[in-house]
Amino acid sequence: MGRVKGLGFCSFAAMLMITGLMISSAQAQEKTAEKGKSDSAASKTAEQKPSEKGYVGSDTCKTCHEDVFNGYEKSPHYKTMLDPHATASKQGCEGCHGPGEEHTGDPADKTKIFGFKGASTEKVNSKCLTCHASGPQQMNATNSLHRRNDVSCISCHSPHHAQTKEFLLVKSQPELCYSCHLQQKPQFNMPFHHRVNEGLVQCTDCHNPHGTVKPKQVRTSATQDAVCFTCHIDKQGPFVFEHMPVKTEGCVSCHTPHGSPNPHMLKFSNVNLLCLQCHTTSSFSGAPGTPSFHNQAAQYQACTLCHPQIHGSNVDRTFFK
Amino acid sequence: MNVRVGIRLLGCLLLVAAPFFASASRAQDNTGTKGIDSGNYNIQQSVEFGYRGNWVNGNQNNYDTFVNLGSGVRLFDYTLDMRSLDHRGIFFDNLNFSNFGYGGDPNNVTRLRIEKNRWYDFRGVFRRDKNFWNYNLLANPLNPSSFNPATPILNSPHSLDLVRRMQDYNLTILPQSRLRFRLGYSHYKNEGPQNWTSDTSVISRLNRVDASTMNAYRLGVDYTIVPRTIISYDQFLNYSKQDDTARDQNFLFQLTGGIPVDLGIPFNGTTPCAAPITNGGTTPPTVKANCSGLLSYSLAGRPRNFMPTERLSLRSSYFRKFEMTSSVAYSSANNQLPDYSELSTGLSSRTAQRSTTSGGPADAKRVTVTADWSGIYSVTEKFRIEDSFAYNNWRIPGVWNAVLGNGFSVAPAAGGLFPSMLLPLSAPFSAATCPAPFTAATCPQHTSSSGEDFEMETNSRFLGQNSKTNNFELAYDFSKRLSARIGYLYENRVVADFFQSRDIAEIYDPGGPTGNAANFHLAARGDCALVGGVLPAKCTLQANGSIIAVGLDAVGTDTERNLTEIHTNAAVVGLTFRPMDTLRINGDFLFGYSDFALFRTSPRQVQQYKIHATYTPRPWMSVDGAIDLHENRDNVFQVNNLAHGRTYSFGTILSPNPKLTFDLGYNYNDIHSEALVCFAASGQAGLPTTPCPIVGSPVALSSNGFYNSLQHFVYSDVMIKPMKAITASFGYMGSFVGGSTLVLNPLQPLTALAFNYQKPYAMIQIDLYKGLSYKTTWNYYGYNGKAPSAITGLAPIGSPDFNGSLATFAVRYAF
Repeated sequence: MGRVKGLGFCSFAAMLMITGLMISSAQAQEKTAEKGKSDSAASKTAEQKPSEKGYVGSDTCKTCHEDVFNGYEKSPHYKTMLDPHATASKQGCEGCHGPGEEHTGDPADKTKIFGFKGASTEKVNSKCLTCHASGPQQMNATNSLHRRNDVSCISCHSPHHAQTKEFLLVKSQPELCYSCHLQQKPQFNMPFHHRVNEGLVQCTDCHNPHGTVKPKQVRTSATQDAVCFTCHIDKQGPFVFEHMPVKTEGCVSCHTPHGSPNPHMLKFSNVNLLCLQCHTTSSFSGAPGTPSFHNQAAQYQACTLCHPQIHGSNVDRTFFK
Repeated sequence: MNVRVGIRLLGCLLLVAAPFFASASRAQDNTGTKGIDSGNYNIQQSVEFGYRGNWVNGNQNNYDTFVNLGSGVRLFDYTLDMRSLDHRGIFFDNLNFSNFGYGGDPNNVTRLRIEKNRWYDFRGVFRRDKNFWNYNLLANPLNPSSFNPATPILNSPHSLDLVRRMQDYNLTILPQSRLRFRLGYSHYKNEGPQNWTSDTSVISRLNRVDASTMNAYRLGVDYTIVPRTIISYDQFLNYSKQDDTARDQNFLFQLTGGIPVDLGIPFNGTTPCAAPITNGGTTPPTVKANCSGLLSYSLAGRPRNFMPTERLSLRSSYFRKFEMTSSVAYSSANNQLPDYSELSTGLSSRTAQRSTTSGGPADAKRVTVTADWSGIYSVTEKFRIEDSFAYNNWRIPGVWNAVLGNGFSVAPAAGGLFPSMLLPLSAPFSAATCPAPFTAATCPQHTSSSGEDFEMETNSRFLGQNSKTNNFELAYDFSKRLSARIGYLYENRVVADFFQSRDIAEIYDPGGPTGNAANFHLAARGDCALVGGVLPAKCTLQANGSIIAVGLDAVGTDTERNLTEIHTNAAVVGLTFRPMDTLRINGDFLFGYSDFALFRTSPRQVQQYKIHATYTPRPWMSVDGAIDLHENRDNVFQVNNLAHGRTYSFGTILSPNPKLTFDLGYNYNDIHSEALVCFAASGQAGLPTTPCPIVGSPVALSSNGFYNSLQHFVYSDVMIKPMKAITASFGYMGSFVGGSTLVLNPLQPLTALAFNYQKPYAMIQIDLYKGLSYKTTWNYYGYNGKAPSAITGLAPIGSPDFNGSLATFAVRYAF
């Protein structure tokens, strides 16, 4: 235990040290950079080579869209300007908005240049995925339920007006997700809930908004199991005696994953009724019925009193221990 | 303390605070910060720290389970952002470092991201979660008040106080190059004390120490083969281990002579035995020695698990009209438990067993093979064909080679009590201590219900599933205003569940008060009980009087072979309608049917209706509405399962100007589930009396096992900025839950079924001077059960209600 605490402390300390080093390096650069301060990012735009036909370069865009350009200059997308080998169609404003020559000729006509606002989801996503498709998070963009429901990249990300520095989101989580998924907000405000509102867990820890092969865009764990086992490692198994629905139907067969009025986010307020729904003898059920001595009106109303290892056991088929 | 008192408290605090800072707030001009340019970096930092006080009335355990925010000095927030001015920093271009919750809050999080354009991208997260959980209605045996003395269970027998530490580190090297490397490491540790239960001779509350650790290593390589086509290889190595121990430390009674004993936690008149207390005047009370109880208990197990996984992925949009993604993964796991050990002493009055030992190695493996493919072919700009296929095959073989032993006592003195926890354990059976005719006092004393003295058993289990799912869709954009898609989803699933238990050897020793020659002096019992007056085959009488059973084949319920195949067909329909630029309506529908249900509540028929409308008539105004309906049915003969979840949501955000924002919403959730359930129930008034209609049911009664939960949730948040230097916000969130359910135990409090949970809050922030702000926040948490917690006949377990007020006084400095 002490070793792990030490590891956590060391990791945290390492982060602080790295941060300190970075700040020191920034200070060290101060002198050398003074000279180049005047050569700030604005002048770097000169690196852009508007050599392709129809492209005018970001400096031209800046003459009218200076506010937007100033924000862009501080954003991660500005790094496209730094590639000395990139062509104009892959750099700066026109890297996303396309050639601007016609637009500069007739600025009032917005159809002369690609505008993301009002464009179809397919077109918006296509533009963004030109560069971002290779990202591990976007690997399954073809399976995106957001895309299928007309939710494009710019529904959540705002390259020019982002409110978060990381991922350029229009809002931070979970408010961003709640803005469409209205029904999830009450669940996370139930007495028993995953600590999403508290900031411990983020929606994207369990869901990949860019798409997965699983329903509801749920991620899988590294071991190709349910994402729940990423944190609930003691429930993962494999166990000699698996509680079958955990593996075949998933955790949601008994739990409401976001939040619930019931303890342990169970689907029912009483444990025994939850169990009995499956554990009633029936030719249609893979679950055995309860034995005759399980008097539900006495001590056996809480099944997990005797069957506490309900997620799986290595040494007891009935999950006693 | 109620809401009104809390509001008064807040008002007082604000009154005290506001004049103090008024002059300062007028003096300053701007709380926003552009940061400091230092060297080649722009550096922005903010820190918010202060004191939080809390005042909690009512059920402290429930407050700590739900909220768990305490008093003390806290670091509420610290952020550091560094950005290279020319995007050409020496070590990095961007650094983001954020923290919150340090100083005693249950959730502490640190996030660090450092990236340098084309060279690397590092992300690290440290999270700590102190998870206190003690909701006493879970797993509560609901002891009746009629037991003397009444023994209410005030804490959940499954309470816990865990600390989770979760660390994730990911490094991408050369993130923009054709060849990219990814490295990752995660370390998760859960540890802390728990209360746990075990049904040994009695259902006892154990003190368990849980320690679960997972170390995960990740290595990935991405290579862009041709433009817009990338192939990735990932290797995951996960190691997990558990070091669990459990002991019984709840000896609330004593035997004559002062020997501590645990009678378990259910006390209902017959359990652990009738009228167990012989002398309530002692401390602790003295109980009968022939009552079931535990004198000691310990359990230890250290599972070790290694789970390597390899995955190969491909994504391509090389062709203008066609894009695809595919991956194939192979994962295995080997979970070994070499040193499981369970020891207990005490008495099981029915079997006269005085001690039990259980051990033997366990080993479970898992092999998972997954593959998926999805593609989109854009026939025209408006028409797309989409298909996705997923294959998932996993199998879990496991075996436990059990070694079990039961100990018995020596015989009592003439006229003495048998069985009894006061009798010493007999020596291991031998001809020397227990010669024929096995009536010596030193012989192990069995009853006809006693289990074997020794057993070796092999338990094998196999669980596997093979599933193939394909979803085919046609999507068409009729116009800029209308898009639709229609599809067909098919799934084939085969589940295999095999189990076999084989007794390698069982030993039944003779001895006991009712032993005689006809019953082999009680050695003929258990699996070797006489059948028609003779020993079963494979049970052999030994010269020393013991009976040994060797190689008992698995019979009856010891062998199960279940193979289930399920075919699911579903229609998928989607619709996006934009009647005007400011209104978007999405519809998503699914209608499915399965030809079999693996479990009674696994739906054969599924219907899902999701409709979401977003209306943005003004840039400062958005209105959202959503309907989300799920209907599940397995309403075949003698199952009658119907379930639904129907959610109706509304929300709006109004920001008429930067100084005023409203965020309001309402949600109604109707959850219902029912199925025919059969059960045994007796000894209480008002229980169902309908006979179970299922032939062969071992239990007699039945009823419609229903659960209804009607949940209303409202929230509002108002942010106002009356002056440039003052920002205030206040709001309210409330959950109002009602419902009904089949009650099988009239002593069961229905608090979780009906309650109000309200969380009003208010905040005022006063900007003092160039990035320096003062902030006061008030939060209230009120949980009030609407169903009575004091049930007639139930030993009082207290009210679940609580209300807590939190006041936070913080200073924020951004520079």
